[in-house]
Amino acid sequence: MSDKPYRRLSPLTPVARSGIFVVAVVFATWRDLLRGDLGPFALVLLGLLIAGLIYGGASWLLTKYWIEADELRVDTGVIARQSRRIRIDRLQGVDIVQPFVARLLGLAELRMDVAGGGKREGSLAFLSLPDARELKDVLLARRDAARTDTSPLPDESSEGASNPSATSARSQVEPDRLLALVDLRMLLLSTLLTPEAIALVVVALGSVVLPLLVDDFGRVGVSLPLVGGLALVVFRKIAGSYRFTVSQTHAGLQVRRGLFELSSQTIALNRLQGVVLSEPLLWRQLGWVRLDVSIAGYAASSDGEGGPSASTVLPVGDRALAMWLAQRMLDGVDLDQTMLTRAPEQARWVSPIGRRFMGFGTDESLTVSRTGWFNRRTHVVPHARVQSLRVTQGPVQRRLGLADVHVDSPPGPVTVRARDRLATEARTILEQEITLSRQARVPSTP
Amino acid sequence: MNDLFAPPGNDWRPVSPQLGTMRHVVVAATASVMSVAVVVLFLVLELPIWLLVLTLVVVLALALFAWMVIGRNARSWGYAERDEDLYIKHGAMFRELVAVPYGRMQFIDITSGPLEQAFGIASVRLHTASPGTSARIPGLPKEEAARLRDRLTSLGESQAAGL
Repeated sequence: MSDKPYRRLSPLTPVARSGIFVVAVVFATWRDLLRGDLGPFALVLLGLLIAGLIYGGASWLLTKYWIEADELRVDTGVIARQSRRIRIDRLQGVDIVQPFVARLLGLAELRMDVAGGGKREGSLAFLSLPDARELKDVLLARRDAARTDTSPLPDESSEGASNPSATSARSQVEPDRLLALVDLRMLLLSTLLTPEAIALVVVALGSVVLPLLVDDFGRVGVSLPLVGGLALVVFRKIAGSYRFTVSQTHAGLQVRRGLFELSSQTIALNRLQGVVLSEPLLWRQLGWVRLDVSIAGYAASSDGEGGPSASTVLPVGDRALAMWLAQRMLDGVDLDQTMLTRAPEQARWVSPIGRRFMGFGTDESLTVSRTGWFNRRTHVVPHARVQSLRVTQGPVQRRLGLADVHVDSPPGPVTVRARDRLATEARTILEQEITLSRQARVPSTP
Repeated sequence: MNDLFAPPGNDWRPVSPQLGTMRHVVVAATASVMSVAVVVLFLVLELPIWLLVLTLVVVLALALFAWMVIGRNARSWGYAERDEDLYIKHGAMFRELVAVPYGRMQFIDITSGPLEQAFGIASVRLHTASPGTSARIPGLPKEEAARLRDRLTSLGESQAAGL
């Protein structure tokens, strides 16, 4: 194995990994450091830090990766050796993430999503940013090549490609085309118009005003954690979506975002399962929309609380832009063309308020459902992506002659559901959808 | 009202009556164990006899209710194999009808716990890429479960569609 051309991670990896620890050490001991003498606490921490760096260095020395026979192989482990093989043709997506400390050092982490697992199985941390980008391009190009012709690649080409920097993947890459960019003003304004931000303002104001009225300063302390928590949520939202850009690349739609932690994610459109347009009440007047997608193999994971989830394609934008993006992703089909019909009159006994906002409709290529007054969401699934269909009916619904129709999709934010339709209509919807999805599926049958 | 859960084409194929029997046995066993436990508890703690009777009545009433509900539910299961999809319906109070295209099936499980084995039945479960698909048929006779699995597997392979 050792004769294979392998590559190593960036030599700065141990530094990046222990970066937060360095900050902690300095922070905990700066008084001692300034005085020039090291207390026992500082010595222990420094000892740990040095041990960590040595371990990190050893780990760096022993971590190697290379591409061989359609697999990305990663050997790691100082004490327990581990050899991981990631099949390139099984890769769902390759994301580049830059945590803050790594970003300062110009490093990036490469995260690979493998088919089947909801969890991110493969990760290479850290590479220099150009290396990470290059490896990502190579992996995606090889994946596409492996998928188009199922026969294994000839030997000489795999030899050449064993060294990621030696391939010509760069030249195959078309220039990226910018599709959408969320400007800061809109991001800030839209974040301000979310329940969290409003709660933050109310609580913050309340904790300033109330003590003045009640003359009891002890109460101020109580609201501080709440203010802090809310502020953190709001801040994460902004930081996560900072400089949100969507562009078209050869591999699919690329989403880049982040203030401290940069993240770049490629969405393969052939794995798109559906889209959701969200229009919260406060945004509706301004005509703003949020667009999320479901992608096969990407579990509905969120990058920490409050941050935008990996499924977001547009955190906020004009309705026209969102519709245009959605149309682009759905093979040019216009969402607004689908006629939605409301739930029948009887449904008001089950959902008195919701009934007026619930809609469902199909056209020749899409199934669309809409719910919600406070946060109106329009879920869209192409017929070709429908997994299974269900009709459910509870005892109350049976009295009223109503039933729900569910369209099952792979895990993700999209769930098309026709709630509280007439029982007779529900069965028709199911049968119709079965037929439509069968017809839509036929061309994709191998 | 009934056309909502009407069979597609032919009639629904029912599951084995052993499913109801098995569940009834479970209910009866649970009720007996609980009654004995109640009696023992009351004897040990020397509580008044009327309280004992009352508790027993409640336990037995619950058991009777469960008995009836379970019987209805067990009889409600039905499935229909069509050319390109499988329909399953079940539920007496909360009813559900599932339609799974064969081309969407990822894999098929047969499970049969010790109790199910004693009654000679097994459950077949279809998995699609969606966790929402609740396509399970409990209480199939063993041979029927194996036949269904083989048929579904071969149909699934021939009609498989990409995601």
